[in-house]
Amino acid sequence: MNSDKILKNVLFVASLLILLISGAMIFSLVRGSMLSIHQFGWKFLISSEWNPTQGDEHYGALLFIVGTLMTSVLALVIAIPLAFSTSLFVAEYFKGTRLASIVSTMVDLLAGIPSIIFGLWGFYILRPFIVSMGLSPQGYGIFTSGLILSIMIIPYATSLSNTTISMVSNELKEAAYSLGATRLEVILNVILPNARSGITASYILAFGRALGETLAVTMLIGNSNIMPTGIFSTGNTMSSVIANQFGEASGLQLSALVEIGLLLFVITTIINAIGKFIIKKFA
Amino acid sequence: MNQTTILSQKANANDLADSFIGRKIKDRVFLGVVILFSLLTISMVLLIIGTLVFKGHHQINWAFFTQTAPNTFDAMMAKSSGQLIPGGIVNGITGSLYLVLIASLIAIPFGVLIGIYVYENQQSKYASFLRDTADVLQGVPSIVIGLIAYLWVVVHVTHGYSVLAGSVALAIMMLPLIMRSTEESLKMIPDTLKEAAMALGTPYYKVIWRVLIPTSFSGLMTGILLAISRILGETAPLMLTTLGNPEITWNITKPISAVPLLIWQFYNDPNMVDLIWSSTLFLMGFVLILNLLSKWIAAKRKI
Amino acid sequence: MKKNSLFLALVIMLAAVNSTVKGQNSLSGAGATFPLPFYNMAFEQYSKATGEKVTYGGIGSGGGIRSLSDKVVDFGASDAFLSDKELSGMPAPVLHIPTCSGAVVVAFNLPGVQAIKLTPAVLVDIFMGKIKNWNDASLKKLNPSVKFPDLAITVVYRSDGSGTTNMFTDYLTKVSKEWAAKLGSGKTVNWVTGIGAKGNPGVAGTISQTKGAIGYVGSEYSFAQKIPTAYLQNKAGKFIRPSIASISAAGKSTIPADTRIMLTNSDAALAYPISGFTWILIYKDQNYANRSLAQAEATLKLIDYMVSANAQKVAAQVNYAPLPASVVKQAKSILRSVTYNGKPVIK
Repeated sequence: MNSDKILKNVLFVASLLILLISGAMIFSLVRGSMLSIHQFGWKFLISSEWNPTQGDEHYGALLFIVGTLMTSVLALVIAIPLAFSTSLFVAEYFKGTRLASIVSTMVDLLAGIPSIIFGLWGFYILRPFIVSMGLSPQGYGIFTSGLILSIMIIPYATSLSNTTISMVSNELKEAAYSLGATRLEVILNVILPNARSGITASYILAFGRALGETLAVTMLIGNSNIMPTGIFSTGNTMSSVIANQFGEASGLQLSALVEIGLLLFVITTIINAIGKFIIKKFA
Repeated sequence: MNQTTILSQKANANDLADSFIGRKIKDRVFLGVVILFSLLTISMVLLIIGTLVFKGHHQINWAFFTQTAPNTFDAMMAKSSGQLIPGGIVNGITGSLYLVLIASLIAIPFGVLIGIYVYENQQSKYASFLRDTADVLQGVPSIVIGLIAYLWVVVHVTHGYSVLAGSVALAIMMLPLIMRSTEESLKMIPDTLKEAAMALGTPYYKVIWRVLIPTSFSGLMTGILLAISRILGETAPLMLTTLGNPEITWNITKPISAVPLLIWQFYNDPNMVDLIWSSTLFLMGFVLILNLLSKWIAAKRKI
Repeated sequence: MKKNSLFLALVIMLAAVNSTVKGQNSLSGAGATFPLPFYNMAFEQYSKATGEKVTYGGIGSGGGIRSLSDKVVDFGASDAFLSDKELSGMPAPVLHIPTCSGAVVVAFNLPGVQAIKLTPAVLVDIFMGKIKNWNDASLKKLNPSVKFPDLAITVVYRSDGSGTTNMFTDYLTKVSKEWAAKLGSGKTVNWVTGIGAKGNPGVAGTISQTKGAIGYVGSEYSFAQKIPTAYLQNKAGKFIRPSIASISAAGKSTIPADTRIMLTNSDAALAYPISGFTWILIYKDQNYANRSLAQAEATLKLIDYMVSANAQKVAAQVNYAPLPASVVKQAKSILRSVTYNGKPVIK
């Protein structure tokens, strides 16, 4: 009993680390944004200006918020069917075979590729492809970066899903088969409900990865501070603008960039909450 | 039992779609779609990996793994005479390994422990809050995490760019992945197993150590592997915390190099761009080895 | 397995502590990416010659200034000198020592065309989006022998904050009142037309892949890649091709004692008009944050090496413009003014 209590306390103390890290992060971000918050207030959220000209500095986050949401949501929309199919392929249909092992290893390799390489691959291979399809004159834009993002987040979406799908108890599946269910019905009615928590968790983690991705997006989105007019227009994202300008920024510009970082935190929280709420409703 | 009721209800419906043939067709079509999409995914992966191998394989030789990064003049000379760029990335390789090791030493124990805590307290609001916080942490851009590690460690602890700062930044990025996959893997273990162990009077820590963790081991390994793969390729946080180093070093309070930092350096240097592909191949090779290793360990431990 | 991992952790800690205790003189610096290839080469040679290790991280001029301000490096490096306001924001007085010069070149992609001439006015109009097509009359007037196609001009600029942008826009501000009023100068500006690409490779890559593109790139990059660049008309009226000689020439005009000056639009007759220094930054008094006198001496020795003949020769080899002799003299006198606790470090 004594060791149980010790263990419970150890676990609790360990859990405080995540709170400590996030709390300290928010504290640092808020402190850094104070200058910008005082200067622009609420208008920061709805202004689409980004003018670093000395003497006329005016910053607003709207452009970047829109760009981030468009690219990340697009990435998730493309990635989910691909990742889900691959997960079923590896963890259900061809579970335990050599083929499944090879496929899952190959997909996992994607996670180790630095984002700059994805950016370059997108620049040299994907971009000319999109230009040749006539979708966009330069090949840059929301669609190109969203597509690259989707490839980058597939390993995050498949990894945990594979585990949870393959861990669904055989007994449950066999019981369903013995009642005459087809494979699809077993997937929809047995596997999905049971693995739902793990699958959802992996998609949320994948979405988080998409939101925070910087380099690959910045190399393919065109970095124009305009309001995106459509899926093939250029634009800019929150992570991109922070990574691009942070190294050389100071004063008000730096504060505005830090405030964008803070906003990213807030937006991630809101979207995650919405996503989890929707999934609960679908239960 | 719910599933059985649903299925028998479906079997009683009169719709064509729910008739036996309809269901079989849907089943086949779905399989076709799954295979199609999987093939699409695999072909994209092959395309990317193929490009890397094609562009980078000729720069890989023994020197690549044993020599430090070349300077721009040697690279320029080599390029103009059509030879392979001399030198290698050994300072980056040792740096990356060192950073990953220290980061793992921090992140794995904490990540697993927090995952266990959340698993053991499913209903509590606090655990829910922890889970949500971890998911949000996952979405923070790596440059922001690098900035935080710069403020906390570089400025206040080591008073200079250091391995420790880099490892802290990388560990923060690993935490959400390890924590969530630990929790989700533990959740997939049938309750009966845990209850049986506890019914035998096993102390709690032994139940975790001897029953829960081994059973969910492959899931844990998956999460750890994904986390390590991710941090191997991260550049931005390392630029703000470890700076880089032209030599091999083991000092935890001093700057160190890493393969992604070298890749960034090569990319920005007009004479050394060709080296980025072979460096990436190294990273992928390392991830591959880790992958195979973890699959082998998981196979050995299968219950 | 638990025992093994604990043992491993112990070994690592011991190794880490061990190397801390050994502590040889190692210097670290951070900052500008522009001189990175030159600095790396010079530092490598310095290490070979003296045994002192030097680590340099190209994290950007802003990062370098920040690192120096936070006192986590021995020296910072920047393409843009600190303004009076920025100097007063630093915790202690900071000195600028120039190490070499570079330039911003105007690169373009016109099939079949290797060189074009541009005047400041035309350059400004292109980057402001007023001249939209290559067959514009003003371009034909400057280059009567060039066959310009009917091709739209695509401007390419740096999406990331950079000293290159700073130098380029500083020049444009000096030669055009309209540019000064509407866009001004800075490491990032509010471009009115074109696409942004990250880093020199990003801009150069975009230009080479886009027909009709025009943009600005760091000279060391364009020289190494042999990218077609424009001849610019300088203040003296001559059309100058960017080269190591014409970049060095820009430094031959009068420089203030503290070397804080933008060399753009230089008076010198043969100067390439968009040139500038890059500096190493150090504190005037080296006794801060527990720095030892030995560390201060080592830092100054390194910087002295950088401005001396051996390192300057290396600069030219890798496409950077060496400092004119007069500037080297100024640099060395600045080094002599560095103190430790009020006493000069270099006797």
